[in-house]
This record gives sequence, C-alpha cells and structure tokens, in this order.
Amino acid sequence: MGLTFVLGAATGVEWGDMLFYAVLFVVLLALIKHYAWGPVTDMMEKRATKIANDLDSAEEARKNAEQVEEQRVSALKDSHAEASQIIERARKNGEQQKTTIVADAHGEAQALKDTAKQDIERERQDALEGVKNDVAELSLEIASKVISKNLQMNDQKALIDSYIEGLGKQNEVK
Amino acid sequence: MNEGASVQEFFGIPFNISNDLPGLVAAMIVFFTMLWLSRRIQLKPSGRQNFIEWIIDFTNGIIKSTMPGKEGSKFGLLIFTLFSFIFVSNQLGLMFQVDVNDVGYIQSPTANAMTTMTLAFIVLLTAHFLGVKKFGFKGYFKNTYLSPLPFLLPLSVLEEFTNFLTLALRLYGNIYSGEVLLKLIYQFGKSFGIASFIPAVPLEIIWQGFSVFIGSIQAYVFVTLTMVYISQKVEKE
Repeated sequence: MGLTFVLGAATGVEWGDMLFYAVLFVVLLALIKHYAWGPVTDMMEKRATKIANDLDSAEEARKNAEQVEEQRVSALKDSHAEASQIIERARKNGEQQKTTIVADAHGEAQALKDTAKQDIERERQDALEGVKNDVAELSLEIASKVISKNLQMNDQKALIDSYIEGLGKQNEVK
Repeated sequence: MNEGASVQEFFGIPFNISNDLPGLVAAMIVFFTMLWLSRRIQLKPSGRQNFIEWIIDFTNGIIKSTMPGKEGSKFGLLIFTLFSFIFVSNQLGLMFQVDVNDVGYIQSPTANAMTTMTLAFIVLLTAHFLGVKKFGFKGYFKNTYLSPLPFLLPLSVLEEFTNFLTLALRLYGNIYSGEVLLKLIYQFGKSFGIASFIPAVPLEIIWQGFSVFIGSIQAYVFVTLTMVYISQKVEKE
C-alpha cells in the first residue's frame, strides 16, 4: 500500500494540487475575513474600548462620590460647631437678661422703699407741725385768759375750772 | 488514506481529485462553521459567539507568545484560518473515509504531502515576503543568511529548505501514519470475521481518540512554527 503510494508519487507529481490548495486557502482567508473574523474582532475591539471607557467613568464616579462624601462630612462637622455656638450664645443672652432683670427689680424695690420712707417722714413732720400749732394756740388762749382775770385765789380757782371746762368743750368740738 | 488516486488533467495540469475534494470539503466545513458561529454578533457575547471568540483568543495567544506587541496583531487572521483549516483537515479523515472503486474521495487532506507542502510554502513565502518588505532586500538577506556569522551562509540557505520540509512533512507524517494505522486496524477487523472484529473495535476507538489528540497537537505545532518562522524574518536578531 505504502509502496504503491510512493511509486505513484514518484511517477507523477500532481502539481495542480498545489495551485488548488493555494487558491483554496486564499479564498478561505478572504471569506473568513469578510464573514467571521472581521465582525467578531470588530466587536471584540469595541468591547475592549467600551470596557476601558466604563472603567474610566467608574473611576470618575468614584472620585465624585468621594468628594461629595467629604463635603458632607465637613458640613456635618460645621453644623455641629454652629449648633453649639448658637446654644452658647443663647445661654449667654439668658444669663445677661437674668442679671439685668434682677438688677432692675432691685433698683425698683429700693426706689419704692425710699419713696415710702419719705412719705412716712413727711407725714410725721406734718403731724408734728399740727401739734406744735395746737400747743401754741392753747398757750396763747391760756395766756389771754390768765391776763383777762384778776389774780385772786377765788378767781383763780374759778379760772382753772373754767379753763378746764373750756378745754373739755374744745376737745368735744374738735 | 487510500492507495488509489484519481488524477485528472485540466489545461494540461494534473489534479489529484482524491486530494482536492477533501480539501474543498474541509474548507467548506471551516467556512460554514465560522459563518454559523459569527451570526448575530453582540457586544455582550453569548453562546456561539463565546466559542468563536475563545478560538480567536487562543490563536491570538499563539501569536502573542512569539511576537508580543502590536506588530503581531496583523497575523491574527492568517493564524486563525490556518489553525482552523488544519484542525478540521486533521479530524476529517478520522470521521469520514469515502472510497469509490478503491479511490478515496473523502479523507484528511493533510494526509497528503502535497497539501502540507502547499501550506508550508504559503507560510514561508509570506515570511520571506514580509522580511523583504520590512528590511528591504539587502537587510533581509543580511538578517536571514548572514545573521549570526557570515561564513554560515551555506547552512543558513540549507536551513530555509529544511524549515520548509520539516514544517510540511511533520504534519503530513503524523496525519498519514495515523490514517494508515486506522486502515490497518480496519483491515485486521475484517480479516478473520467475528474473532478479529471484536478486538479491533476498541483498538480502532483508542487509535481514533489518539489521532484526534495528535491532529489537534499538530495543528497547534504548525501554527506555532509558522509564527516562529515569520517572527524570525521580520525581527532583527
């Protein structure tokens, strides 16, 4: 079997086969390029670029998110500080208000006390004045009565009596 | 593999039909398979597209291993087609053997030295052409024949012929011997009736499996060496 093949090959070389296979292979190359290789590799290329783009955009999105997160954290910190500041200020205001109110009240009470004292003093003064006037009047009356009568024992007695009587009458009138 | 051959002459050129027909069949199988695999291409691959992309990645990987960088990417189509054609050719004769009047019409095209020599010739012609194109004829000559030491010129010239012959005959020898042994086991199975048929079946199955393995390996080796020869020509040593 092998011998016949070798003999056959030796007697005549079918060099047409070479032409046939060369043409066949070139045609196969062209067909595969047009129908299979081209579209598939194009799509693979497209996918590679798309993946690269996606990776880039994902990286960008990650960076953005990080930035936003940072901003959020700093804003939160700021708001904490602001809140404590506001509370501090309010407390200070309250303290201040309290002291002023207490001071005002103290002042007012003092003023009221003072006026009351002054009123009392004036009243007392007025009363004393009135009493003094009465005493002077009485003394004048007594003196006039004493001068109008003679200085007799009997008369004196009568005078005192009348005076006392008069006093009683005066008091009743008063 | 069959001893008979149907030689026809067209325009005074002898064609071996029992070698050309299986080549045509293998090429058609490759083309229609790839056509079927590459329909409905999507950005997000699924099903068949995954398979063809896996093959493309595999052949691109062969290129990358010998010629890393952008330069190798233009050989993608050549290596892809060469690999799929040789692979299908190697397996074709393991599945179908059609003989008419002792003349085989369907067998492995690569079980014929003419086929493998043509393929090797295409490959080496491409390699030399690219070498000349890249460095100019002078640079190519220097790079290829005077490269390590000028006085090795005869050896370098001889090397080009042995490259061609080994590339072609390695593939041919492996596939041809595989088919010869398949045929021998088949004849052994027929020879003593049932007594030889039963032991022949597992033997045939085992040898077919091994031939599938050898056919795959040889397709891989052929395209790997193709890339090696091309890179030798287009890269300065």
